[in-house]
Amino acid sequence: MPTKTMQRKIYKPSEIVDFIVIGSGASGGIMARELSRAGNSVVVMEQGPRMGPGDFEHDELKYRNLSGITNNPNTNPQTFRSDPNQKATRVAGRNPLTYARIVGGSSAHFNANFWRLHEIDFIEGSKLGPIEGASLVDWPITYAELEPYYTKVEWEVGVSGLAGASPFDPWRSKPYPMPPLPVKSSGVLFERGGRKLGLHPYPAPMAINSQVYKGRPPCAQCGLCGGFGCEVMAKSSSVWTVIPEAEATGRCEVRSDSYVFRIGMDQAGRATGVHFFDNKKVEHFQKARAVVVCANGSETPKLLLNSATPQFANGLANSSGKVGRYLMFNKGGGVAARFENPLNEYKGANVTRVIHDFYDSDPKRGFYGGGGFDARSGGPLTWGQSVPDGTPTWGPKFKEYLESYNYWMTCAGHGTSLAQETNRVDIDPELKDAWGVPAMRVTYKDHADDIKHAKWMVERGKEIMDAAGAVQIDPGEVGAANGGVHLLGTCRMGNNSDTSVIDKYHRTHDVKNLFLCDGSSMVTSGRGQPTQTIEALAFRAGDHIAKFARRGEI
Amino acid sequence: MAQTIPSRRQFLAAVGNLASASWIAMNWPDIAFAAEHAGHDMKGMAGEPSPPSTLTTLSVAEAADIDAIANQIVPGGTSPGAHDAKVIYFIDSALGTFFAAQLPNMRQGLAEFKSAYAVRFGADKPFASAPEAQQIAWLKEVDKTPFFTAVRRLTLLGLIALPKYGGNHDNIGWKLMGVEDNHFWEPPFGYYDKDYPGFEPYPGTKPYTA
Ligand SMILES: Cc1cc2nc3c(=O)[nH]c(=O)nc-3n(C[C@H](O)[C@H](O)[C@H](O)COP(=O)(O)OP(=O)(O)OC[C@H]3O[C@@H](n4cnc5c(N)ncnc54)[C@H](O)[C@@H]3O)c2cc1C
Repeated sequence: MPTKTMQRKIYKPSEIVDFIVIGSGASGGIMARELSRAGNSVVVMEQGPRMGPGDFEHDELKYRNLSGITNNPNTNPQTFRSDPNQKATRVAGRNPLTYARIVGGSSAHFNANFWRLHEIDFIEGSKLGPIEGASLVDWPITYAELEPYYTKVEWEVGVSGLAGASPFDPWRSKPYPMPPLPVKSSGVLFERGGRKLGLHPYPAPMAINSQVYKGRPPCAQCGLCGGFGCEVMAKSSSVWTVIPEAEATGRCEVRSDSYVFRIGMDQAGRATGVHFFDNKKVEHFQKARAVVVCANGSETPKLLLNSATPQFANGLANSSGKVGRYLMFNKGGGVAARFENPLNEYKGANVTRVIHDFYDSDPKRGFYGGGGFDARSGGPLTWGQSVPDGTPTWGPKFKEYLESYNYWMTCAGHGTSLAQETNRVDIDPELKDAWGVPAMRVTYKDHADDIKHAKWMVERGKEIMDAAGAVQIDPGEVGAANGGVHLLGTCRMGNNSDTSVIDKYHRTHDVKNLFLCDGSSMVTSGRGQPTQTIEALAFRAGDHIAKFARRGEI
Repeated sequence: MAQTIPSRRQFLAAVGNLASASWIAMNWPDIAFAAEHAGHDMKGMAGEPSPPSTLTTLSVAEAADIDAIANQIVPGGTSPGAHDAKVIYFIDSALGTFFAAQLPNMRQGLAEFKSAYAVRFGADKPFASAPEAQQIAWLKEVDKTPFFTAVRRLTLLGLIALPKYGGNHDNIGWKLMGVEDNHFWEPPFGYYDKDYPGFEPYPGTKPYTA
């Protein structure tokens, strides 16, 4: 970690740097570190501010209800529709696609559940496809190709967990660098229920320190992970891990409050740099030899589509027409359960036990889908807005329900979303953001199998909590998806330039010096916790892109 | 359980237990700052503005009715309720600032609530001063309206959000839910993890560590 006195490198926009990385989140931070460590000059463009540990607050109202570190729907609006024939409209008070707009991106405010994909995830197309109405295809890479990078993520950014504990885990070349976090009451009950049913609950792998690691402290168990930045720096977010390491090379500038609105292109069809607004909304152009977009599954397609030129009239790198398509979330279902004694779930890191017995899709069920379960909870301010069936919404009985907060936990199922061509991010024909940049339009409808699987998960959740001895179970409702925080698949990788946007090295099929690497690269949704995969892809892409640069192949 | 030790001191102790001395030396200023500003232990802090405690948006009459509704949503009695938690100051301040866009709808909803109430019970006395049984009877008739739903939502936010927003006075909301005002915790967290014997490996697996 660089000391406070270290001089941060600053480049002039007129200087031609080797790489611009757009976005400083889960993938962008890693990309910046790998490229700058390989000897390249790098400018990271981040639209959000840079926050230090002392800037993060335990203010649930601000962070959950008032878009404290996420996009404000007034200045960064989006529109939504479930049917491509409808006109998309704004949703009152919130945006459908949510991510953190700060240095560190969503890795700063995520819950830090860290699951590897399994071997099956990369080859479901050939094993289970085709599926009507969906585009279930194989990845152009295998688990074996990504495994060294999964391990690299665990050791470079810091992950706690117990290797070999789950009989369903894919093979690995190294254990986790840290032991698991201490178990919570939800984890104990979940484990009890799971074991009773013959399932195999195990300690949750989390991108949260359980001991001092690489100069950062262990978790203080404050209980506010999801939606919050970690003010003790125990969560392994890019802003505390790879970004300071990138800066320590002396070759990387992280330029915050810099909103890229267009990628510059020349007549020869090469990227020349990026047009961006500074914090006073003044336009600049940063020159570069190559551009890597790590802006996430919502902003990456928006930027490409907004960067259309006469030569690339449908948007940059979009000769396939696939930019923005195949948007996936992670559909799931679960239950809340009440127990006889207090669990105090508001204390401690979000999740401590996981079940992966139902990970694989099983054709016997009659639909596609698989997933994992975890034991978790919400912070105090999430409580009471809805009530279980039969509980009054106000009055003395409702007050009693409020008082029962500490007796509840959630058994949450995280599952699959099938890629569908019509589910997409594109540009709204009318709406613009506060910078005058055309806003994103989201079109999304669950595949019928996603809904069936989510409902199936609710039933499994009931069984687990029942076996755990719950005195009351409140099944979650499975409604139509109207937004998400796992923003995946919108610039998928593939070997065929007619059906994918990037190749297996994350280079766009259409523009030689333009690369994309983030949630948008994913080909299938995995089972719920995509970020370790996004980070492994970033380490792998960083390796290859640095090699291309060394060999003059960019 | 009441916490008597100031959260900052506890926090310091925990970091001291868990982290290396050099780490603390290097990062202490940031961490101390974070602990102070994370919104806990507000009472002892100099320089923090005090929470809103007067009406700035709603009229006294409007506030009285909304306060009365809030106090039926989370009634007082053996333990304090929404009125005691001063939820109305949260609502008033919210509607004047971050939820200002909702103010016109709230006002219109309240006006409809009042006129319908007057048709039923007479215009001489407002809802706020009606006997409790009458308030409850009337709310049962209107508790599906958008206005009631909005007051309910604001009541809960005001009850549980940080006291600096005006409600959750004296941490009444958190106390009601059993939430302690602390910056960090250590295991055991709850009843069920107290005696956890440790993770027992499954037959055929070999857990291993670094
Ligand atoms: C509340 C919450 C909880 C979550 N919990 C988990 C979890 O437990 N486990 C898990 O695996 N995943 C979780 N996720 C999802 C996880 O955060 C994302 O999958 C991951 O961070 C995506 O990485 P990314 O690199 O694709 O994008 P991001 O991390 O979102 O980074 C993108 C960055 O690019 C910046 N950017 C975008 N456009 C521009 C532009 N035009 N100019 C400049 N900068 C730009 C953004 O501001 C942002 O900083 C959670 C997400 C949320 C919101």
